[in-house]
Amino acid sequence: MTRDRLRIIFAVGIIAAFVGLIGITYICSSPDPADSERYLARAVEETGASNRVAGIYLNYRLLDTLLEVLVFSVAVLGVRHYLQQSEGMKLPNLSESEVVQTAVNFLAPLALLLCTFFAVFGHISPGGGFAAGVIAASGLLYVAIAHGIQAMNAQLNPVRLALMEKVILLVLLAFVLAPAVAGRIPLTELLPTGTPGKLLSGGSILVYNILIAMKVFVGAWAVIAAFAQHRGEL
Amino acid sequence: MAAIIAFVLFGIGVVALVLRRDLVIKLLALGLINAASILFLVSIGDRPGARAPIQLPGDLGIVADPLPQALVLSAIVVNFAILALALVFVMILVERYHTTDSIRIEQEMAREADDQETPCL
Repeated sequence: MTRDRLRIIFAVGIIAAFVGLIGITYICSSPDPADSERYLARAVEETGASNRVAGIYLNYRLLDTLLEVLVFSVAVLGVRHYLQQSEGMKLPNLSESEVVQTAVNFLAPLALLLCTFFAVFGHISPGGGFAAGVIAASGLLYVAIAHGIQAMNAQLNPVRLALMEKVILLVLLAFVLAPAVAGRIPLTELLPTGTPGKLLSGGSILVYNILIAMKVFVGAWAVIAAFAQHRGEL
Repeated sequence: MAAIIAFVLFGIGVVALVLRRDLVIKLLALGLINAASILFLVSIGDRPGARAPIQLPGDLGIVADPLPQALVLSAIVVNFAILALALVFVMILVERYHTTDSIRIEQEMAREADDQETPCL
């Protein structure tokens, strides 16, 4: 009973934070005729990120990106909920041959390394949080295919991962709302812009990229694990 | 050119979505429609001789319009969400009716509804 109540409080908290965010942004924002020419001319200078696409979706259009992350979370929640309700097929669990296992043991760390690179350097080179998260999740998918989903679930507890996903969402929201505590408009820049092209530039974009990469990684893995558990194997 | 390919792919997707009876193929068609939309949106941001919109030191060349590329990210994520959820619903339907044929599933559902309306006659 208390767990259910906690969950409801958690959900209401997240929804209230989003509604509040939209309301505050609506009240505080003044209409600005921002077109793509302005983005092209001033995006790098204003956001500090060499990657203009990252500058747009994590600075000018941060609210869109946040709602996108929320859509992703709702999808993960829906998949887990509906798959838990139905019975599943429970196919026998078979692991792959030793050749595949050895190849995967070599490839999976590379995927995680690529994920880290794309997340950390997403603001100065091609990449970004969403792509990085999907790369890491596919690296984990290789491992699950080669070694079996049971072995993966023993290492990564799906319940804990689902909790971690929500915690990351809350941290992301807290980071977005943090400027409000300092008496500024939420969604505005909290960290210094820096010199474009350097690693520590682009203000909060680096933090957002890393948080979104973790979020997408955990969420995509939660979806894969739910499907695999439902079927019994991948 | 890319826009024409996008329209052709979109057309194939819509035709498959409407005419094919298999639910999994319908989902694949939905994915194709989404990919075509993404291709179209990215292609309208292109300019002749343009490169990726990433600023390198001392570089003042022509770059592609970054705005459609940034907006397309939403389309990709929403497509992932829709496909994952729709796949779950298809799995539930298949477990219940043992077919992916949409018309047969509708017939089975109509029969079930009839059975419920006229009990023990």
